[in-house]
Parts: sequence; C-alpha cells; structure tokens
Amino acid sequence: MNDVLLTFILIVIKLGLVLGTVLSLAAYMVLAERKILGRMQMRHGPNRVGPFGLLQPLADLIKLLCKEDLIPERADRWVFMLAPAISTVTALLAFAVIPFAAPLHLFGRTIPMVVCDLNVGLLYLFALSSLAVYGVALGGWASQSKYALLGGLRAMAQMISYELAMGLAIVPVVMASKSFSLTAIVAAQQPWPNAIRHPLAFLIFVIAIMAESKRTPFDMPEAENELVAGFHTEYSGMRFGMFFVGEYLNLIVLGAMLTVLFLGGWHGPLLPSVCWFLIKVLGVAFFFIWVRGTMPRLRYDQLMAFGWKILVPLGLLNILVTAAWLLWRG
Amino acid sequence: MSLWRDIRGTILPFWVTLRYLFRRPVTVCYPERKQTPAPRYRGRLVLTRDPDGEERCVACHLCSAACPVDCISMQAAEREDGRRHAAWFRINFSRCIFCGLCTEACPTLALQMTSEYELASRELLQVIYEKDELLIDGCGKNDGYNFYRLAGIGVAAPRGSNPGETPPVDFRSNLP
Amino acid sequence: MPTLIIDNQTVTVPEGTNVLEAAKRLGIEIPHFCHHEALGSVGACRLCAVEFREGPVKGIQMSCMVPAKDGMVVDTGSAEVLAYRAQVIEWLMTNHPHDCPVCDEGGECQLQDMTVAGGHGIRRYTGPKRTYQNQNLGPFIAHEMNRCIQCYRCVRTYQDYCGGTDFGVLGSRQRLYFGRFSDGPLESPFAGNLIDVCPTGVLTDKTYRFKSRIWDLQEAPSICPHCSLGCAVTPGARYRQLQRRRARTNNRTNGHFICDRGRFGYGYANHPDRPRYPLLGHRRVTWQEALAALQNKLQELGELFGPGSIGLLTSSRATLETQFLTKRWAAALGSDQLCFEAHPGRDLGARVAASQRLDRTASLEDVRNCDLAVLIGADPLSEAPMLALALRQAARRGARIVVVDPRPVELPLAYERHAVSVEKLGQLLRGLSRPQQSEFPSSMEELGGSLASALLAAKSPLLIGGTDLLGPQGTEAMQQAAEACSQPETPCRTMFLLAGPNSFGGALLSAEGPCFSSLLEGMEQGRIKALLCFEADPLADYPDRKRSRAALARLDMLAVFDCAATATLQEADLFFPTTAVEESTGTLINNEGRMQAFEQVFSAGTPLAESAGGSHPPRFFSRDIPGSEPQSAWGILGALMGRSADLLTLRSEIEKNDHRFAGLSQLEARGEGRRIAAPRQYSLSHQPNISGIMGSDQLQLLVTETLYGSELLSNLSSCLHESTPSAFVMLHPQDAARFKLEEGKKVLLGTPVGDLTLTLRIAGDMVPGMAIVPRLRGTVLEPLVPGTEPLPCRIEKA
Ligand code: SF4
Ligand code: SF4
Ligand code: SF4
Ligand code: SF4
Ligand code: FES
Repeated sequence: MNDVLLTFILIVIKLGLVLGTVLSLAAYMVLAERKILGRMQMRHGPNRVGPFGLLQPLADLIKLLCKEDLIPERADRWVFMLAPAISTVTALLAFAVIPFAAPLHLFGRTIPMVVCDLNVGLLYLFALSSLAVYGVALGGWASQSKYALLGGLRAMAQMISYELAMGLAIVPVVMASKSFSLTAIVAAQQPWPNAIRHPLAFLIFVIAIMAESKRTPFDMPEAENELVAGFHTEYSGMRFGMFFVGEYLNLIVLGAMLTVLFLGGWHGPLLPSVCWFLIKVLGVAFFFIWVRGTMPRLRYDQLMAFGWKILVPLGLLNILVTAAWLLWRG
Repeated sequence: MSLWRDIRGTILPFWVTLRYLFRRPVTVCYPERKQTPAPRYRGRLVLTRDPDGEERCVACHLCSAACPVDCISMQAAEREDGRRHAAWFRINFSRCIFCGLCTEACPTLALQMTSEYELASRELLQVIYEKDELLIDGCGKNDGYNFYRLAGIGVAAPRGSNPGETPPVDFRSNLP
Repeated sequence: MPTLIIDNQTVTVPEGTNVLEAAKRLGIEIPHFCHHEALGSVGACRLCAVEFREGPVKGIQMSCMVPAKDGMVVDTGSAEVLAYRAQVIEWLMTNHPHDCPVCDEGGECQLQDMTVAGGHGIRRYTGPKRTYQNQNLGPFIAHEMNRCIQCYRCVRTYQDYCGGTDFGVLGSRQRLYFGRFSDGPLESPFAGNLIDVCPTGVLTDKTYRFKSRIWDLQEAPSICPHCSLGCAVTPGARYRQLQRRRARTNNRTNGHFICDRGRFGYGYANHPDRPRYPLLGHRRVTWQEALAALQNKLQELGELFGPGSIGLLTSSRATLETQFLTKRWAAALGSDQLCFEAHPGRDLGARVAASQRLDRTASLEDVRNCDLAVLIGADPLSEAPMLALALRQAARRGARIVVVDPRPVELPLAYERHAVSVEKLGQLLRGLSRPQQSEFPSSMEELGGSLASALLAAKSPLLIGGTDLLGPQGTEAMQQAAEACSQPETPCRTMFLLAGPNSFGGALLSAEGPCFSSLLEGMEQGRIKALLCFEADPLADYPDRKRSRAALARLDMLAVFDCAATATLQEADLFFPTTAVEESTGTLINNEGRMQAFEQVFSAGTPLAESAGGSHPPRFFSRDIPGSEPQSAWGILGALMGRSADLLTLRSEIEKNDHRFAGLSQLEARGEGRRIAAPRQYSLSHQPNISGIMGSDQLQLLVTETLYGSELLSNLSSCLHESTPSAFVMLHPQDAARFKLEEGKKVLLGTPVGDLTLTLRIAGDMVPGMAIVPRLRGTVLEPLVPGTEPLPCRIEKA
C-alpha cells in the first residue's frame, strides 16, 4: 500500500517537473528559433520585450490569450475546437516514457528518471505520434476552408508516409538492444551511441522526424505561399497557440526521441546525466532550426517520392544488413 | 559527379548560415538610432508656396486623381483676383502609401515630399492633415517655378504681360 | 445606300452620310472638333483627316466633309494620317495657354484628349502666345478666350441651332474672337448649350466654376423635372451637392440640347431651406414617431368617420411609382377621395390630353420634322422651352410656324403671329374641327380658313396647344380639330403642353376620379378630415388661394410629403421629407406619353459645403450623414403599406395592373424611353364645365407662366434668380394710352387677390383689352395661378 502511494507521489512530482520544463522549454524554443533565424539572416530577431527580448514568449502568450477566438461559420464546431488539443496533448503525453536522466538511488530505492517506465515505451511513442496526425487532419477538415483542407490532407499523407520510414529505422536499434523499453535502449548504448553503431538508421530517422515535425524543408502542410497557413489557416487566438505550442513540443519530443534512441540518452562524461540529456535535446533542436534557416521547401511530389522510393527501401535494407550482422555475431 | 554536386550543395549552405549567425546584424535599431534619409526620400507631403509667397496649389484635383489609395481630398475656390486655390485640402496619412504619384502629377510643384517619416500616432485623426498643417512657408525643392506667371491667364500679372505673351488683341478691328 | 470599306470593315449607310458618321457606325471614332451630330460639318478644325485609298476621291481628306460613296476604301489610321493629325494638334496648341490645372473643362476636354492622343507633348514653337480679354457673359457662362481653337461650334450652336443673335464671331485672322460685341448676359434661353458644345474650356459653366472635376462627380442618366417635355439630362453631384446638369442625348425628345431652365434649375436640391427631417407640428421627430403619428391618426379618423374622410393628393411632380402607390393606398384605406393634381383645370386638361390617339401624338422629334406647326394658346419659351428649339429646327428646314395667342409669344425663329383673345381661341378650334362648314368666329374667318386649308395641305402638320390657356374644353376641341384636319396619309398630330413632368402619368391613373375642387368641397363640408399631399402643394397650385387656405384650415390633419419648402408645408401638421429627382429612382411620363426612367445620382444629405461651412469636412468619425433623412415618396408609401421597397417588383406590378404601362419594367434610364401602350379614354361630359368663357369690355387679367420664376423647383435654384424678372404687368399700347400709363412706371393692378403694385411693360403684339401678369413665385404675384379663365381687373397709376 505504502509503496504504491510513494510511487504515485513520485510520478506526480516527476510529471510536474517534466511538464513545467517542457512547456517553458517549448515557449523559449520559439524565441530561440526566431532569434537564431534572425541572426542567420543578419537581423536582430525579437528584441523589444524585456532584455534581449526575453519576455517575448510571455507577451506572445498574453496576446494569444487576448485574441478573439474565431470559429468559421460553417466549421464543424466540436472537431474544430478539439483538434488543437489533440495536437498538444499527444505531444505532451509522449514525455511520459522518455527517460531524461540516469536512475536515482535514494533511500535504498531505485527511482527511474522517467515518468513511467513502460516496457513497450517505444511502441507507446509510435502510437502517440500516429495519433498526432489526427490533430492536424481534423483541424484541417473541420475548418471548412480549402486551404486548411489541403493542408490537413498533405499533413496526413506526409506523416503516414514518414512514420513508416521512421519505424523501419528503429527496428535495428530494437534488435540490437533487444528491448522496447526506452530505459533499456539507453542503457544499451554504452559506450557507443546508436548513431555510430547504426549510422544509416540514424540518418533515416533524422530525416523522418524532420518530416514528422512538419518543419522546413518538409513544411508543405502549412506552405504559406500556397496555402496561407495550411491546416491552421482558420485558427486564431489560443487555439492557434495550441497548434503552435504543439509544434514546438513536438520538436522537443522528437529531439528527446533522437537523443534516447540514437545519441546515447543521458550518458556522458563529467556532467550530471540530466544535463547531458538536456544538452543533447537542445543540440538536436538547434540543428532543426539551423536546417530551417538553410534549406528551401521541397516540392510535394519530391517529398513523397523521397519517402517511399528512397527512405523506405533503405530502411528495409538496413534491417536486413543489421539482422544478418546480428546473426553472424550470434 | 552530380551526386557529389548535390551533396556539396546540401552541405555548403549550412556553412553559410552558420557563418552568418555570427555576423553583426544590418538592421538599424530604429528609435535608438535614427538615420538621415536621402534628399529624395519619399516622406510626408507638404504644400509649398511660389516665389511670391502665394499658395502654389490651385486645387486642380490631379493629385487626388493620381493617388492610388484616394487619400487626398480638396475643394477648389476662387479668390477675388480670380486665383483658383484650395478652400480646404486634406491628406489622410493613415492611408498614404508614400508612392509619390501625387507629387509627380502636380502641375504646379505645390505638392512635394519631405524626408519626414515619423508620422505614426495612436490617434487616427492626428495623421489626417489639413491644409494649414500641410502648407509650409517656402518653395520646397524648386524655388523658381511660378505657375500663375506661365499659365497664360491674368492672375499674377495682367493678361499679355507675362513672359511669352503678346498683349491682348483688339478684336473689334478688322485691319490687318 | 452607298457601301464602303473603312479600316477593312464594310458598312452600308444612307445616302448623304459623311464618312465620319459612317465610321462611327462601325464603332470607329475619328478624332474631330468641329463636327457635331446636331450641327453638322464645316471642315474648320482639320482634325478628322483620313486617307482615301480607292474611290471617287483619293488621298488625305476631311472625313466630315466627304459624303460616303460606293467603292470608297478608307484608312483612318495610316501613318500619314496620324502625322497629319499630330501636326494639326500641334498648330492648334501653339497659342493655347498652359492653364489646364485651373480650367474647368479639364478631364472632359476634347482638346486635352486629342493632344494626348496626337502624341503632342512638347511645344516646339517658341514664339509668344496670343492673348485676349474675356467678357462677362452673365450668370451662366464663364468665358476664357485664350483657350479657343476656332472650331466655330459655339457660333453654329448659338446662332444657327438656337437662334441667338447676341453672340458670334468677331475679328479676323489670328484675332478671331468668339463672344458678344460688349459684355453682358447672353440673351438666348439656350445659351447653356455652349458649355456642352465648346470642345475646350472657353465656355464653361459659371455655376459650376471650380466646384469639381468630372472624375469626382457622381453622374447618372436622369430626366429634367422642370416642365412636361422630360428632356434627358445628366446631373452631376459631389459631396452631397448637386453641382450641375448637362444635356444627355435622346433623339426622340430633346436631341442633344436642353434649355437653361433645365440646366441651371438644379439648385433646388441644395436649397438651404429644404426641409430634411420629419416634422410633427413644427417639432423635429424621428421617422418612427412621424409614421406612427400618421398611422394612429388615420386609424382614428377611419374608425370615427369612415375611410372617406381621408383625402389623398399627388401632383405632376410625383413619379409614376408614387402616384401608383398613392392610388393603391387609397384603395387599401378604402377612400375614393384621391386626386392627382391640385389645379382642376390643369388636371382635366391633362386627362383630355392623355386620351389622344397615340399615332396622333407628336414628340419633339416629330416637331423638328414637321412642315407646318400651328401653336394655339401655347407659349413654348415659358411653358416648355425646348419646344421652341425644336420648332426652330423645323423652321430651318422650311416649315411654316403660326402662333395664335393672346400673349406676345416670342420664338427664336421666323414665324407668323396672330393676337387673338382667349375666348376666340376656343371658337377658332371649334371652327377648325368643322373645316368644311367654316364656322369661324367673326373677324377670324380668313385666318381660320387659311389655317384649315394649310393643315389639310401640309405633309406633316402639327397643332400645338397649351392646356393652361385652352382649358379642358379647348384641349378636346384641338383634338377634334386635328382629327378633322387630317388626311389619311398626312395625319395632323398634336402636342399639348402640360403642367409638370408627370402630368400625363397622373392623368392616366386618375381616370374618372374626382378633381381637387370636389376634395375641397369635402373639406369645406367637413366630410374630409385628413389630407395627405404627396409632393403636392395645393395651397400654391389651386387657383383660388383663399378657398384652399380656408378648406385646409378645417382639416384635422394635413400631412405633407415633399422635397421643397412649399406653401402647404407651412400649414402641415405632419411632414415627411422626400428625395429630389436626382436622389432617387423613378419614372416620369412626359407630355407625349413617353415613359422615361431615371436613375439615382447621389444620396440625399446636407451638402458638405453647407454642413462644413465652406471649410474641410468635420474631424470626427460618425456613421450619420447630416440631412440624409429624405426618402423617396414611393419608398415611404411602400413602408406605410408594409410592402417591400423593391423598384422592379413595383414596376412589374404597375405593368401588370394596367396594360398601358407595358414595358415599364424593362425601361432603361439610358434609353429613349417608351411610349405608353394605349391612351385612356376620357370624356369631359360628366365633369362640370369649369372654363366659363365670359365676354366683357372690362380689362381682363391673364396669368401666364414665364421661363424663370413660375416653375416651383427651378425657382428654388439660386443660379436662376439673377435672370428672373421682377413682378410686372403687360398691357397693349392702346390700353396703356386708354389708362394713361407709361412703360416702366409703377402701376396699381386691382385683382381678386388684392391691389398689387407692379412695373408696367407695353407689348404691341398682344391682344388688346387684356392685362397679362406672369406667375412669379416669391413675389406679390405668387397667389395668381395660370390656367384659369381670365379674371376681372382694373389698372391705374400707382
Ligand atoms: S504619396 Fe501616393 S498614396 Fe500618398 S498621397 Fe501621394 S499618391 Fe496618394
Ligand atoms: S496636383 Fe498640385 S496643384 Fe493640383 S490640387 Fe494637387 S497639390 Fe494642388
Ligand atoms: S469658343 Fe469653344 S466652341 Fe467656340 S470656337 Fe472657340 S473652342 Fe470652338
Ligand atoms: S425644356 Fe423642359 S424638360 Fe427640357 S430642359 Fe427645359 S425645362 Fe427641362
Ligand atoms: S471635324 Fe472635320 S474638319 Fe473638324
């Protein structure tokens, strides 16, 4: 009885910690992105609110909260209102299974530094990222607007296609670490992280999650010069804000996934494990921003062709090679 | 070969953006630092006076016709000496896009652009300028032109006494 | 019917058409200045040059001067032609001043257009420019001679077309001058047309001086409301102010021109005293309150005294839509006390006129093409000015014009005139209706006989009558005379001058209904308790003002719907502001039964010039437009009857209700209008004989219309005040001698409305034994209304 209670309390604490960190991280990710992009284009980026523009996320939040919440006249009201929430909540739920530090040994107890250490954590992650498609697709559909509908359609097709490549990229990792539990996968990456052990899988995974996050160069669903703002064209105020936050949460989730699956998780010398984890996640995020500042948008047919004709076959090949190697190594 | 080019083409831009990340931004932080605009900068409009100190504008409606956003309005009136002028003249700077078409249309050089650009206001009516706010005391960029001396009508000087005119004809005579 | 090829397109035109007109039929506009459809060609400006490649003439020729011939091949845009035209423009511009910015023609100036089209941008000739002194041509026309290009259009319009004599061309060579010999107002009542014809800014509208530019004006096709001819006009408004009117082309009616009453009478819409909001008593109220007050009162009266206690009155100023809805509303209320004109004589006269066979009704076009016109009791310049211009065109083609009238009728053309007293007019007409029997009154046998035989002999004879002087009986007599003087191939047509722009519509709708006298009787007997006046002014229009005032005073409620401050409005218990013609849409039926629709030019509102006191528009934001409360009379009626205020539905309903108005719903304001489908049979027999003709030796007083000052709306236009005469009385020299009176002196005229002090004028060509006074609103003569039998009067030195 006592034990269950304790575990429960611990989960709640961890939950609060993760939630707080992740949400504020997402907010500042927005600022960081705008700043970094600005500097890459020799601008200043936001610099008016607070010192160096540091209060900008707060200002944005207030603005979004104060804005009128518009619902198009012929929109499917309930779906329209639900969609942004799906998008945010799925991103948040994903954090439940992500181990962000080495297990803590306290008072003779081993406290895993993960909100909930599922033994099929990886599958859970995948399930959630599939669910995330719903937010976008429903939002686009419910808006009753051609731009939103097209955006939603594109997002759906794109996410389903690249999910496949993503899944295929992870199979070798699972095969090598012989577990679906993320904690186990992290633990298995000593001394070499999976990025080095499975370079091809790493590459495919990186590209796939970039597409999953709908960011440049894969931002067709919201391609502003053709679709205004894609699936969230009709959204305003905090509902738009939720899509927006969802996107950056997703950025962190994917960063964390990449860290956990390929970059060795919390492992690292000298610094405490949480720090390593954070550094790695932020590094991945920076890389994403950097890509956005550098690459142009793909054409839609190029995107689909690349996913189906290159990434999927490569992923399959990679599985074969890994399996053969594992067999040969016994 | 082309694969190599593609790979280079994919990688190199990353290097470019990374380099730019550490450059000094070119943006001028406006309220703290102000730049002096070029002399032909298209800023706030003014109505100038002719060398005799009279209003140049004759309220011909050409600027308002040229304006793509219809932000100029006026009413013409006649002075005792026959001079056509603007009874009132209004420019709505909250609409103006500073394209300069009006100044190009102005046949009397009355309407000219200045380098003043700090017009923003929270009070909409403050950016609606009436004639007394637009009219300045000088000739602006051209200090020689005087429409009424060249127009061929006897306003600034009696008929026939302006440059390039012969004295009024006597139509009652049939002599050659 | 020659067939020729112009710019590779083949066209067949009637014999005598010039090449310029032929090209126009193909939609090819050859640049020109001096040619004008109504004035013809003179070949003065040299701009219409085209190249003739094949045919009887070859080379570059003026297209306006060459009649189209078979086999011609014409190129309107060859390189030589363009170069030729560019040179013409350049030399026309050598003396042209540099003053477009201060010229009112700017934007609608043919010279500007042609200069730009000709590609002439820089003046190469550097010699001095010729200058002129301008003239003061009166209140209507501004003169700026420096801009002239010597196209002669003005002279041709003024002297040839309009018959004016005081404006012409003077000087020679480089000194050609288009003006008067000395300063002074232009005398012709058609002088305003100079504004339209002058292709440059020499002759511009003085009342519109520096007011606007064409591109800032709101314009729409409209109809002149100042007489019964219904000329086509294009009014222009800006900043809620009606700023000008110009002529529109309708070849069936006015042609290309209009009179100065029509052109400068627009000021009524901007009148500073125009009532612009509903009034209850003399208190300003909202529309809801006013309408509620009206409805309550009507209901109360209806319950107490029955529906017959409500009288309704419209006028010849009201649109067909208003008149129709008034009739509908009367039916809905259950009242038969409905009348369409406050002046019984004019009312019945119009009803008789509207019963004329359509193939016997003349339009102004028919007038222009007639070869004999006999005017009996019609004074065109006063009652329907454009008729005078149409008659002049007929006279220019050789038509004979005969005027039989007691008044000194003047026309801008050569005509015969016979001074005949009022009672003899009727007898003459009755004689004409039995030409074989020669029953002409004494001393008129010769005239009557000659007229009868001339009418029978003419190819397209015309009888023109004014209902004011003829009265209903005379009008009927004229119709019978026309019938009698018709030959199968050469029908004698008639034209009647009616009281207002829609007298005809009212006449068609009123049928056998009562006239205003019987409504007055009802009020006097206390049967009628309420009177609703839709754009009607019974106080000023009913001939006996004492009687109408007393009767109106007995009413429980007098409701007035109008756009002008009328005499009746002063007495009204309830007032509803209506829109002016230019502020709404509607239909008017002119004196020949032509339905003409007009469009809305601008929305009613106090002119900015007035509400802003000449300064800039107010500096605050507001949705309310000052003075925008007036609504169209038919709109208000629709609201009162709880119907939709859709014009098209209304027009189709009118059409369905009465087959005479067939085609009303397809009427286009831009078109030529459409004659009503059939006249309404009407017989005078069951109306009291109201025109009792009396013979006596006493001096008789005849009240007539004048060009300016008689018509209600144009009299409110301040532009016309300078030209409006002051009150006068006219006598024959014999009578002046009899009473020892001198021209120009003040005299005392004793009339039924009191003793009036007037200036005496002596006119040799009027009938003796008669004193003639004009109807002049706003003067001592105001209570005297035309269209009645001559009144007894006496005259003496003041
Ligand atoms: S600058 Fe352009 S927008 Fe501004 S007033 Fe002139 S024409 Fe209009
Ligand atoms: S164009 Fe020039 S002269 Fe004409 S109204 Fe405008 S400012 Fe005045
Ligand atoms: S005044 Fe006008 S119409 Fe007359 S000749 Fe000159 S330009 Fe022609
Ligand atoms: S003739 Fe009559 S309708 Fe025509 S313009 Fe003159 S007043 Fe108007
Ligand atoms: S139009 Fe033919 S010469 Fe003027």
